[in-house]
Amino acid sequence: MTRFGFGSSLRHLRLQQVLAVAAIGTAVALPVVLVSVGGGVSSHELANLQNAGYQIVVSAGGVHGITGAHRLAAQILTIGSVSAASPVLSVPVDSYFESGGPTPVLAEGVIPDQFAPTQGPAESGLFPSPLPLGDPSDLVHYDNGTYAGPATYDVMVSSPLAQAEDIDVGSHLLLSPAANRTIGVSYNVTGTFGVAPTALGPTGAFAIVLPLSDLQVMTGFGAGAGTTVPDAADTIQVALSGAAATDPATLDHVRNEIQALTPYYGVSSLDQEAQQLEAASGVLTGFYLALSSVALTVGLLFLALVLVRRVEADRRSIGIRRALGLPGRWIAGGIVVDGLVLATLGSLVGVLGGYLIVEALSTWGSAAVQEAAQLAVFSPETLGAIVLGVVALSLLASAVATRSALRLPITEALR
Amino acid sequence: MIGPRSPSIELTRVSRTYRAGRPEEVRALRGIDLTIAPGDFVSVEGPSGCGKTTLLNLLGLLDAATGGEVRWDGRPVGSRSDRERARLRLEGVGFIFQRFYLLPTLTARENIELPMRALRVPHAERTRRSADLLREVGLAGKENSFPHQLSGGEEQRVAVARALGNRPGLLLADEPTGELDSVNATAVLDLLERVRADRDATLVVVTHNPEVARRARRHLTMRDGVVAADVREA
Repeated sequence: MTRFGFGSSLRHLRLQQVLAVAAIGTAVALPVVLVSVGGGVSSHELANLQNAGYQIVVSAGGVHGITGAHRLAAQILTIGSVSAASPVLSVPVDSYFESGGPTPVLAEGVIPDQFAPTQGPAESGLFPSPLPLGDPSDLVHYDNGTYAGPATYDVMVSSPLAQAEDIDVGSHLLLSPAANRTIGVSYNVTGTFGVAPTALGPTGAFAIVLPLSDLQVMTGFGAGAGTTVPDAADTIQVALSGAAATDPATLDHVRNEIQALTPYYGVSSLDQEAQQLEAASGVLTGFYLALSSVALTVGLLFLALVLVRRVEADRRSIGIRRALGLPGRWIAGGIVVDGLVLATLGSLVGVLGGYLIVEALSTWGSAAVQEAAQLAVFSPETLGAIVLGVVALSLLASAVATRSALRLPITEALR
Repeated sequence: MIGPRSPSIELTRVSRTYRAGRPEEVRALRGIDLTIAPGDFVSVEGPSGCGKTTLLNLLGLLDAATGGEVRWDGRPVGSRSDRERARLRLEGVGFIFQRFYLLPTLTARENIELPMRALRVPHAERTRRSADLLREVGLAGKENSFPHQLSGGEEQRVAVARALGNRPGLLLADEPTGELDSVNATAVLDLLERVRADRDATLVVVTHNPEVARRARRHLTMRDGVVAADVREA
């Protein structure tokens, strides 16, 4: 590269240099894509967790494992600093529109006045306030566990579903726990709600929201005392009021109190989940880098091969320098500089290539891939670390070539 | 550490065998005993393949003996590290190779200054020395020419100038006038002799040129890897 350095006359080896840069670039592009997209999705999910409107979640093993959900929510509400306790039940049901066969939809049963305060900033804007679902407390129909009170038969429909099935507010929707129209119940459509984008596609989105007791009764997860699955829910989301929401000591205290109420359920705070997500994200990033190290190793072996080939092609020049008594570090320096230049160029090509790949995925990938690619985060620190790592590893490749140059017998090199 | 002054060199039963133990084994030197004193002007003559260049390589620490011992100022060179030997070559030895061995990507001036740069000779001093040497070998005005822009004779003169840049105590020349016409050959020989005389440098010249041999004070004749004759002029 430099005129006083090693290899300056090897114009015929330019193709090898280009190939070495391409090999390193390819090797670097892989971790750039994996880490930026993986990190972006993790950051997004983490942000969602941190921006959730609730701070503690009660859950049980198995499907719909919480029983006595209304009663437990009421008990939790008596704990100091708790502002809302929202049991949530998610069950797929069949819906019948104007005509035609059943359409499976995911229904979410909630207590209207508890559901709203447990929504994060992103979600809350998607729902009307208050929720137009009749009885705000859901205690009229629930009627102390008897379900003897009058149901509201109100339902809200997600905007995409309403648009797809041409459902208007004020129309009726037949909901059934099974693909059987005759056991279906007619509901009044009282409103619509938006669907927040998710990093992993629409699989987690629910299509209709109705009062918890209505969904429990319709699907058999709510029944009077003596039945096997009374007053069921999947989770109870608990929101704390004001400064308590961000005070670790208060959060810990409330979590312990809820745990004391329900020693057989899982009680976790979102900060714990965030830590777990961060830990999982770290493990995943490590896995990405381990996977990428295979590609990087191949790229650097190629670089070492190119540098050794250059030493062989430039043996006379090296022999002359050594015959003149030039210090070994002059010869090594030239090789190291060449290795560093190729590795740096390759790294920059890789970073640029990785960026372009992510851009391409965000434009031409499948819907889920596009969404994930759009969340990619190109952290200067991470990219810098990858480039520095490659540059540092290139010293190993240079060392191999330097050893070869300095072990070359001078008289043979001069022949 | 040896400085630019001339070393005393002793070879004791020195042999050099290439590809030892193989069918194609070549015994280039066979047990040579030789002492070269500081300030000697030695010509080495003999037919092709008799070991002249191998002897020069051993004297200049470019190669290592496979048998016997080479001593510089009484110290075996075999006991010196590669780094020490390189430093000795840089500071104390000026090589004029038969095939010049200029670096093709450097200009004439840069080729001459390269060993000086390695020895950290200050820039101004390097520039002055290289200009003086180019003038002395008759190449003033060719400072910025690359080797491919020079004739064979001009390349040889650049090689001579390069060998003299660090003012070595030992000058080793392999056919230094082989590519020169008689006028330039005389000028180069005059320069080498003057350097030898001014600094009491040792000059060992491998040559087939009677004019070169005539100037030497000591004449070695080699045959089949041994010194067949060693004649000193009175």
